[in-house]
Amino acid sequence: MKRVLTTCEFCGCGCNFYLGVEDGKVVAIYPSVSHPISQGRLCIKGWQGHEYIHSPERLTTPLIKKGNRFREASWDEAYELIVDKFNQIRTRYGNDSIAVFSSAKCTNEENYLMQKFARACLGTNNVDHCARLCHASTVVGLATTFGSGAMTNSINEIAGAEVIFIIGSNTTEQHPLIGDRVLRAIEKGAKVIVADPRETQLAKLCSLYLMHKPGSDVALLNGMMNAIIAEGLEDKEFIAERTEGFESLKETVADYTPEKSSAITSVPEEKIVEAARIYSRSKKSIIIYSMGITQHTTGVDNVMTTANLAMLTGNVGKEFTGVDPLRGQNNVQGACDVGALPNVFSGYQAVTDEKLRNKFEKAWKVTLPPQPGLTLVEMLNSALEGSLRAMYIMGENPMVSDPDINHVEKSLKALDFLVVQDIFLTETATLADVVLPGVSFAEKDGTFTSTERRIQRVRKAIEPLGDSKPDWKIITELSSRLGYRMDYSSPAEIMDEIAKLTPIYGGVSYSRLESFGLQWPCPSPDHPGTPYLHKGSFTRGLGKFSPADYKTPAELPSHDYPFVLTTGRVGFHYHTGTMTRKDWALEREYPTGYVEVNSQDAKQLGIKNGQTAKVISRRGEISLSLKSVDTIAKGVVFIPFHFAEAAANKLTAANLDPVAKIPEYKVCAVRLEKG
Amino acid sequence: MKILSKSNLVPFLEGLGLEFKVNAPLYEGQDVLFGDLDSSKLATDFIGKPRLSPKEYSFPQRERLFTFKNNGGVEIEAHLNETKRVIWGIRPCDLYGLKFLDMVYLSDYVDPYYQARRSNTILLGLNCNKAEESCFCSSIGTGPFAREAFDLLFTDLGDVFLVEIGSKAGKKLIEKQANLFTNATSKDEKQAGILEEKSKKTFKTYIDLGKVEAKIAGASSSPVWAEEAAKCILCGGCNWVCPTCYCFNIEDVTSGDKTQRVRYWDSCQLGGFTQMAAMNSRATQAERLRQRIYHKFSYNPDKYGGEIGCTGCGRCIDVCPAGINIAYILRRVAN
Amino acid sequence: MAIITKVCDEAAGIKTFTLEFKEPEIQKSFDYRPGQFVELTVFGVGEAPISITSSPVNKGYLELTVAAVGKVTRALHLRKEKDVAGLRGPYGNGFPFDEVKGKNILFVGGGIGAAPLRSLINQMFAYRDNFAKISILYGAREPGLLCFIDDLEGWGKTENSEVLLTVDAPDAKWRGNVGVVGSLLPKIDIDIKNTVAFICGPPIMIHFVLLDLLKMGFEEEQIITTMERRMECGVGKCGHCNIGKSYVCLDGPVFSYHQLRELGEDI
Repeated sequence: MKRVLTTCEFCGCGCNFYLGVEDGKVVAIYPSVSHPISQGRLCIKGWQGHEYIHSPERLTTPLIKKGNRFREASWDEAYELIVDKFNQIRTRYGNDSIAVFSSAKCTNEENYLMQKFARACLGTNNVDHCARLCHASTVVGLATTFGSGAMTNSINEIAGAEVIFIIGSNTTEQHPLIGDRVLRAIEKGAKVIVADPRETQLAKLCSLYLMHKPGSDVALLNGMMNAIIAEGLEDKEFIAERTEGFESLKETVADYTPEKSSAITSVPEEKIVEAARIYSRSKKSIIIYSMGITQHTTGVDNVMTTANLAMLTGNVGKEFTGVDPLRGQNNVQGACDVGALPNVFSGYQAVTDEKLRNKFEKAWKVTLPPQPGLTLVEMLNSALEGSLRAMYIMGENPMVSDPDINHVEKSLKALDFLVVQDIFLTETATLADVVLPGVSFAEKDGTFTSTERRIQRVRKAIEPLGDSKPDWKIITELSSRLGYRMDYSSPAEIMDEIAKLTPIYGGVSYSRLESFGLQWPCPSPDHPGTPYLHKGSFTRGLGKFSPADYKTPAELPSHDYPFVLTTGRVGFHYHTGTMTRKDWALEREYPTGYVEVNSQDAKQLGIKNGQTAKVISRRGEISLSLKSVDTIAKGVVFIPFHFAEAAANKLTAANLDPVAKIPEYKVCAVRLEKG
Repeated sequence: MKILSKSNLVPFLEGLGLEFKVNAPLYEGQDVLFGDLDSSKLATDFIGKPRLSPKEYSFPQRERLFTFKNNGGVEIEAHLNETKRVIWGIRPCDLYGLKFLDMVYLSDYVDPYYQARRSNTILLGLNCNKAEESCFCSSIGTGPFAREAFDLLFTDLGDVFLVEIGSKAGKKLIEKQANLFTNATSKDEKQAGILEEKSKKTFKTYIDLGKVEAKIAGASSSPVWAEEAAKCILCGGCNWVCPTCYCFNIEDVTSGDKTQRVRYWDSCQLGGFTQMAAMNSRATQAERLRQRIYHKFSYNPDKYGGEIGCTGCGRCIDVCPAGINIAYILRRVAN
Repeated sequence: MAIITKVCDEAAGIKTFTLEFKEPEIQKSFDYRPGQFVELTVFGVGEAPISITSSPVNKGYLELTVAAVGKVTRALHLRKEKDVAGLRGPYGNGFPFDEVKGKNILFVGGGIGAAPLRSLINQMFAYRDNFAKISILYGAREPGLLCFIDDLEGWGKTENSEVLLTVDAPDAKWRGNVGVVGSLLPKIDIDIKNTVAFICGPPIMIHFVLLDLLKMGFEEEQIITTMERRMECGVGKCGHCNIGKSYVCLDGPVFSYHQLRELGEDI
C-alpha cells in the first residue's frame, strides 16, 4: 500500500492525514500524529468522508448540452465551444459580460490561476468565490480595524487561553479539531462563554451561555463593552499605545446599557455583565466567531465590534489573545489570499492601486482592468438584468449554496452561456452548457491555506479518474486556447509566481512546505512564518476602534411570517453535500434535512417530532421533517442547508451587507405549516 | 530462544521478503505506521505503538468482498486475499487484539475473507521496553511483554534481539535463515526478565481490572456515561483505532452492471449504527458510550470465555478530540 | 440466488413476494423455522434482513412480506415477477413450536409486524390438534394497513380459534374495533396459566402489550416476542444487533420477555 500525506479537503482546520492507496484507489486513512493540528485526531469527515473520490457518479469526461440533454464530448470539442462562445460574447458585450466563480475547495494555485484567467485572459475583474458568502465581512471588518482580515491566532493557542468567547460558531461540529482545543482548554480550567441562538454542544459544556436573538450581535457586544467601561475594566495602556478612535467607541457604547442590550438581545442583564467581566478580567482571552457573526446585513459591523471588544481589553496582538474568525472551507482563506476576489489581486493588493496593478501588468505582460468587478450575488443579479452574459463556475454549487435559489436559477438560466467545472453533475452543473470534469484533492498537487493562515501541501495520491483533469491544468489549457498563454509544468511553479507577486506569501515555496507548511505573513525565504498577528503593532499601524450601532436584520418576523429562520450546517455534511452525501456513514447519520423548532412552538403549531412541516418564506417553500428541541429559542427555527431536496436557500433572502455584500443567511422570516 | 543481532534484522526481514509480503512499523516523517517493508524507514526503536494496529491486514478499513455482474444472469466473483504475509514489530497489545479478532471471526460462522487473510499471515511480536502515556496493557495483562499469540517474539536487548519461538511457522522462518541467528543464553533471558520489570514501572495509566469486572454490571446507570458522552464530537475515532473493534458495515457499490459488495469498519458511537426505519435502539450518546465500554468489558467476556475486548493499548485515549478517556471511565466504574 | 415468482399487494406500501431458489437442490434442502429470517439482496442496491412470512409446511417456495421503508426494501418493491434476488439464510433462532404444544396460544400482532407470526400461525394450523385454543389479536393504524386478510378470515373460521381485529383510525367502511391492539385483550377468554403469548409489532406496541399481559397475570417466561435491530451480516459478526452478550441475529430475533430482562434490555 502506498501512503500519501495530504491536507483534508473539508473544513478550514487544515488537518493532515495519509491516504492509503491500493491498486490506484484510496482505501484507507491514517491520521498524522506529528501534525500540529491533527495530532493523530480527525473528525468523522476526515476519517470517513472520502468515499466520494471513487463514486460511480464522478464526472470523467467533458459534457456538452444538446437540447435538454448532455452528451459526452472530447476536451477539444468542449474547449472549442467555450472559446467560440466566450469570444462571441466578449466581442458583442465587452469583457465585463463574463464572470468567473472560483472555488474555496480548489487549491491556491488553481484560485490564483482563475483570477489571473479572469483578469489577464478575459480582461475583467469579475471574479469571486464563496468567501463572499461566509467571511466577506471578516475580510472587510478586520482589515478596517486591524489591517488584516484573517484569524489572528494559531489554532494551538486556543488550548492555552484562559477565556474563550465563542459567538456565532458551532465549533465542535463545524471546526471539530478547533473544538478539540476548546474542550482541552475547558479541561485545563479555562472559562468559555458561548453566545448563540442555538444551544450548541459547547453551550452545554461552557461556563456561561448567552442565548441571544439572531442578528442582535452588535447590541450584545456593545452591551458588554458598556459594562467593561462602566466598571473600568478596559486596558487603558493598550488603548493609549496601540489604538485610535477610542473616544468614538466610548460614545457609541455609552448608549448600550446592559438594560438596553438585554432588551434587544433577550439575554438577561446580569449575564451580559458577567460575560463582560469574565472576558475583560483575563489577559488571555480569545474571541472565536464564525458565520453567526458574518452572515448578516450587519456582518461588517458585527466583525468590527468583536475587534473593538478585543482592543478595548488589550486581548489581541499577544499569544493566547486574539480574534479568530473560523474560515469554513478547506481553502477559503487561501482563495482570498491569492486574489479570487473582485477588488484585489493576490495578497489583498487592490486592483484600483495603480502601482500594484502595474506590477501585475508587468509580470503578466498584459493590460489589466482598473475597476473592481462584481461580487457573487451581484453577478447573479447582473445575469438576470442581462449585462452579464456568460459565467464560468469552478467547484461551486450556487443552486444549493446561494441565497434565494429560485432567483439563482432564473439568473443562471438567463445567461447565454454557462460553463461549470466540477467533479459531480451538481444541481448547478445540470444548468450548464458545457461541463468540464475536474478532479478531487486526491488526484492533484497543490496547497490549501487553513483558517490559521497555514499554507500546506496537498499531494497527489491517485491518477485523475477517466478523462478528468486537475483544475489548474484545465484553466491553463482554456486560457491558452483563448489566446493568453499559460505554461506551468507543475503547481510548484505556480506557487513560485504567487510568491514573487504576493508579499504575504513571499517566502513560500514547495520545498519549505514539506513539514506541515508555513503560516503567512511569510515575506521572505528566511522568514519562519507568523503564528499570531499584530505583535507589537497592528498590520495597519494603530488598531482602529470602529464602533457600530445596532441595526435590525433586513427581514423581521411579521404577522404572516412569524418565525426567524437561521441556517447552518451539521457536523456530518459539508456544504451542498455533493461529496459527503455519497458516503454511507455520513449519509446514514443525516440522510436528509430537517427543521429544528422549539418544542413549545412545535406544540402550538400542532406538528409532532418527525412529522413533515412546510416552511414558507416570501421567496419559496420547502417540506421537511420537524425536529422538536429545547435547544433553540422560541420564535427561531433552524434548517441545515446541505440538502438540495429540502434546500434552506429556497427560503433565504439575498439581502446584502452594504460593504461586504455578504447575504443575510442567518435571518429571514418564515412561517410553518403542517406538511 | 535465539539471538538476532540488530544489524541482521533488515537482512532477516528482506530474506523473508523473498517468500512473503513483509509489513513492519515504518517512520513516516515523525509518525510510526505499519507499512510495506522499506528498510530506510524501518522503525525498531519507537516507543509505544504505531497509530493503527496491524488489524487492517486481516480486517481492512475497506474491503471488497465480492463483485457481481448483473447482466441477465448474475455472476459472482469472491475476492479472497491469500497473500502470504509476515508482520514484524507487533506490540503485545496488538498481538492480543489479533487473538481476540480470531476468536470472533474464526468461531461459529467462520468469516472466509478474514480467514483467507489471517491464515496466510505470520505474526512477529516486539515487546515494549517502555510505555507511552496512554498505555495501560499492564493493567489488562496483555503486555508490556507478550506471553502468547505470536509466531516469533522479539525483545530488544540493546545491541541484539532475543527471539522467542511461538509456533512451528515461526520456527521455520528462523531455520530458513539460521545463519543470522545464534542461540540465546540464560543471561539473555534473564536480561529480558529485568527489562520487563523495568518496563512495567514506566506505566502512567492504570486501571483495576478485577474491580472493573466486579462492578461493571452494576454501573449501567452511572452518571459517567452521560457526563463523558456530552463531550463526544462523533468522530468514531475510538472505534477506528481499536485493535479489537470488529463491527462492520456492508454496502453495495454499483457502477454500470457491476456491483461490489464492500465491507467497512463501522463505529458503534454513531447514531446511524443502530438506526432503523422507525426507531433507534440506542438513541442517546450516553447509551452508545456505555455500549462501547460494556461490549469490551462485559458482553465480550460473557460471550468469549472471559476474554476482554480491550487490549490496553490506549489508542482510543490518544485519538479522542474530546478527551474521553477509557481509563478514567473504568476507574469511575470501579469505584 | 432466487427468482421472484409472484408479487402481490398486501396493504398500503406493503407487498408479499414469493420467491423460489434458482437451484432446485437448494430449494429442496432449504428448511427453516417460523420466526427465522433471510438476508435478501436486491442486486445493485444492497442487502437487508427480512423475516419469513411463509411457513415451513409450504414446500417449494418462500414468502416475504415487506414494507418499503429503507433503501433495499424500496428497491425490492420495484422488482417484478421473474426478477432475481439474492437470498442467504435462514438465520436466527425461530419461535418455539414443540415446546408450546398442548397450550393455549395468544398472538398479538401489529401492522407489518405480523409477518413472522403468520409463519408460525400457519404452521400451528397445519398441526392444529396439537394446540388448545388459538386467539389472534391483530391491529394496524388504519384498515388499509391490515395484512393477510385472507389468512385471517380462514384462521377465524377454524374451530377453537378466534381472530379479533382493530384499527386506530377507522374509515367509513370499518365496522370492527377501534383502538390499540391492547384494547382487544379484555375481549378474550382464556386460561392464562396454560397460555403462551407471541407478540410482534412496532416497539411501542410491544411495550404496551407487554405491560398489559403482565397485568393480566402472564409470567415473563410465557411471553415471547421478537426484537428488531439493524443488521448487516446475520451471523453474529457485524455487531449492529448486539444486545448484552447476545446478537439478535444469532440468539434472537425471538426472545422470551424473561430473556430480554436478563439481557438488560428496556422494552
